[in-house]
Amino acid sequence: MRSLGVGLPVAAALAAVGFLLVPGLILTAPIEPLMGVVQKIFYFHVPCAIMLFLSTFVCAGGSLAYLFRGSDKGDRLAAAAGELAVLFGACALVTGPLWGRKAWGVYWQWDARLTSSLLLFLIMIGYMLARRYGGAGGKRLAAALALFAAVDVPLVYKSVDIWRTIHPKTTVVKTLDPAMRPAFWSAFALIVIVWGLLLTLRMRLEATRAAVEELRLEAEDLLEANR
Amino acid sequence: MKEFFSRARVTLAALAVAMAVPLAAIAQQFEKVEGKVTEDIPAVPFVALAYGFIWIAVLGYLVYVARSLGRVSAEVAELRRKLDGPQGKGPAGPGATGRKGS
Repeated sequence: MRSLGVGLPVAAALAAVGFLLVPGLILTAPIEPLMGVVQKIFYFHVPCAIMLFLSTFVCAGGSLAYLFRGSDKGDRLAAAAGELAVLFGACALVTGPLWGRKAWGVYWQWDARLTSSLLLFLIMIGYMLARRYGGAGGKRLAAALALFAAVDVPLVYKSVDIWRTIHPKTTVVKTLDPAMRPAFWSAFALIVIVWGLLLTLRMRLEATRAAVEELRLEAEDLLEANR
Repeated sequence: MKEFFSRARVTLAALAVAMAVPLAAIAQQFEKVEGKVTEDIPAVPFVALAYGFIWIAVLGYLVYVARSLGRVSAEVAELRRKLDGPQGKGPAGPGATGRKGS
């Protein structure tokens, strides 16, 4: 852990403080009169969905750098962000139906927001599968998939405004009751810190794996030279 | 006479059944209910499941990344040790740092 620098311990400490503070803020936030207690899923469901969008954009940015400049760092960033997109996408897609079961009476509706979110999640799973099992050109194929996923993000975001849907509209955060804002923004900050922490660690893992490969090649060269 | 009693028994039984079945059920109608009626699904299990899933997934991923990082870092240290070993800046032996078994 020595090589992880100062930033990670600071982020970990902030996350620990967040874990202590945020549950209290959520518990003391007012209960929404129509939906009741189940509306409290909102405080983590929305940040997880935003992290899905952010991870997809970061993955596409890294993929662009890899595709057009051959940047290995870009590729590592894309790999890390791609996994986080799947992680936070899964969180959003599991918590949403749990909320929906109570609020709408059903776990799932094939409406525009839910379907386009599922599509984005599946594209990011495709990204990971292409990286792992795509063979020699797998990374390039995955990078192209990440660009498709990034194009899907604005569609997912605006779907509730374009089509008629049972999902709340994009104005829900802007018009949030002032008494609910501290709980929401502190939960959002906590999720952002955790996301940054995971991204940094995951990128470090990719860099270390690359170092192992280099050392192995060096060792093989030495073996050849000693023969 | 016997037939009369038999018919009377059947008629009485049919009457008893007809009186036992609510009229609304026979009529196949929807009737309004007085007062507020709600389908009460408890919310707390859904909230607990949602929060539990998020934190188990995040912590599980954190543990996976941290363990992988520890393993790969140890591999790097081992490879460096072998490459800078006492046998003239070379690997300890054939296959010591090859792709197999690592």
